[in-house]
Amino acid sequence: MTKILFTDKLDSCVERWRSAGMTVIGPVQRANSSVYDAVKSASELDLNLVLTDRSIKELFFPQSEPMLRYAITKAEINTDEFLPPSGPRIIFGARACDASGLAIDDPLFGWDYKDEYWFQRRNESVIVTIACTKADEFCMCTSLKLSPDSTKGSDILLRPLENNKGWQVEELTDRGREAFKSVADLLQEGSDPAAATVTVPEKFNADACAEWLKNPENFESRFWKEISARCIGCGSCTYLCPTCHCFDIQDEGGSFEGIRRKNWDSCSFALFTMHTSGHNPRSTQSARWRQRIMHKFNYFPGKFSANSCSGCGRCTRECPVDMGITETLQEISKLSQ
Amino acid sequence: MTENNHNAAQNIYKPATMKIVDRRDEAPGVRTMKLEFQDPADHELFKETYRTGMFGLYGVYGEGESTFCVASPETRKEYIECTFRESGRVTSALARADIGDLVTFRGPYGNRFPLEEFYGKNLLFIAGGIALPPTRSVIWSCLDQREKFGKVTIVYGARTVADLVYKHELEEWMQRDDVELVLAVDPGGESPDWKHRIGFVPTVLEEAAPSPDNCVAVLCGPPIMIKFTLISLKKLGFDESNVYTTLENRMKCGLGKCGRCNVGSIYVCKEGPVFTAEEVSRMPAADL
Repeated sequence: MTKILFTDKLDSCVERWRSAGMTVIGPVQRANSSVYDAVKSASELDLNLVLTDRSIKELFFPQSEPMLRYAITKAEINTDEFLPPSGPRIIFGARACDASGLAIDDPLFGWDYKDEYWFQRRNESVIVTIACTKADEFCMCTSLKLSPDSTKGSDILLRPLENNKGWQVEELTDRGREAFKSVADLLQEGSDPAAATVTVPEKFNADACAEWLKNPENFESRFWKEISARCIGCGSCTYLCPTCHCFDIQDEGGSFEGIRRKNWDSCSFALFTMHTSGHNPRSTQSARWRQRIMHKFNYFPGKFSANSCSGCGRCTRECPVDMGITETLQEISKLSQ
Repeated sequence: MTENNHNAAQNIYKPATMKIVDRRDEAPGVRTMKLEFQDPADHELFKETYRTGMFGLYGVYGEGESTFCVASPETRKEYIECTFRESGRVTSALARADIGDLVTFRGPYGNRFPLEEFYGKNLLFIAGGIALPPTRSVIWSCLDQREKFGKVTIVYGARTVADLVYKHELEEWMQRDDVELVLAVDPGGESPDWKHRIGFVPTVLEEAAPSPDNCVAVLCGPPIMIKFTLISLKKLGFDESNVYTTLENRMKCGLGKCGRCNVGSIYVCKEGPVFTAEEVSRMPAADL
């Protein structure tokens, strides 16, 4: 017997969580894309998507985050700090790749200096992940040593029932247990079998790629130019990526008052590393693509013991010129044989 | 990891407010400012953490923040001195600011020169152009505890006489009998009354021929000067592991998060900005 949440009870759960003061968030369809967003009832949730178009990252690290409002006089600088809107949240229906992505970035936002904008949201969010029973050709979690039912970064893992009538509930963390205590009476003990998680074929050998990337001789390989020749540097892959964390800090307003914001930035852009002198350490698109791959699969794991990639495949799925991490790592896998 | 451990509840992106208490034009377009903390808590934190070699982000609200070194030594923490060339949006705004105006500072960040390892050794400082300020921070940190070090030699060169910065301190070092100062300007950059060397830094350095025995070198300058000076140092018998330099890269956070200042796997903001020439030689040259 396992705890089961039946689909017809989900709306009551949403209501229960909402009346307890939690913001309920889940995958929904918006005008042009599917995103994770706040809902008022379970009927708004779209739980049949392979994956939302946009990743879960923006719930923790928004595209544009106001940090300080400044007002300046000759005698003083007044600043008001913006802190992230506080309050408990439950994210229902995350995918394992998205939840893993958050856990991958935790050490980055925490090393030495703790980014409260990230951690306040992390500490107030319960992540309820639904194991995948379908995938598409772009999914690649298994190539990153994750899986459609990875528990990394999740507080609750739900396994869809074979009969499609609900989910088996696996409580993973205290935070998850706490959130599900409030709906305990809406869950039932049952023996309905879980549906098999989808099989995601392995697309490349991550270990072999890591070895190849670590070899200093390959830093200036012709490979980088060839593989990135059609990159237009639009930055879509970085914005859609659940683990890409690069940002810019910009002041919006005038000399006397305005707002300092932290905005998403992208290593795909030439201005990203441009010095005032005009010197640019990564002046070509191929150098920038190399940086993106090296960062995710060599530098980041060197520092934080995990690839900066959870295999969601959005970079490839949405790339306007049909590039992406998959193709590059597949080619590197071949080169490293 | 750095020695900084900021309190967890703090907003790490919030800068300290600084008042400009003095300023000085060093060379065309180059200015030094003396900044005083307005909040004693910010000042305390600076006093606890600042060591020579660390950098900061200097800012003007409405324009942004710009990264450069702290030019004042770790032996003088009552204020911060910074020297910058007016070249971009932020430095232009800093240059417009007057005595009494308020600007911002975030830091100090990064690693430092390991001064304790320099105790008892001869010191060779080599700087080119506007790279004297970071070197000057180390120079004064050592001169303020002069007895702990051996012979001190400073080789400083600029394109023209007008481009030499900290002219009043050059004068002071010139007068001291416990400092050997070698000044140079590039050929063509001399004035009619120039009494010092004429030549590029690497050449002048080779002529001065300081001994590598029990000596550490601190080298700061534009990349082209660093490249050729390293060759000269090698000729003089210096080991790359005894040559220290600082790297500069574009930064937004200074805290290891915004993702742009890395050279290969090395984050300049956290693992640098101070490196030995040996460490730099192991970095991918194409990423510098």
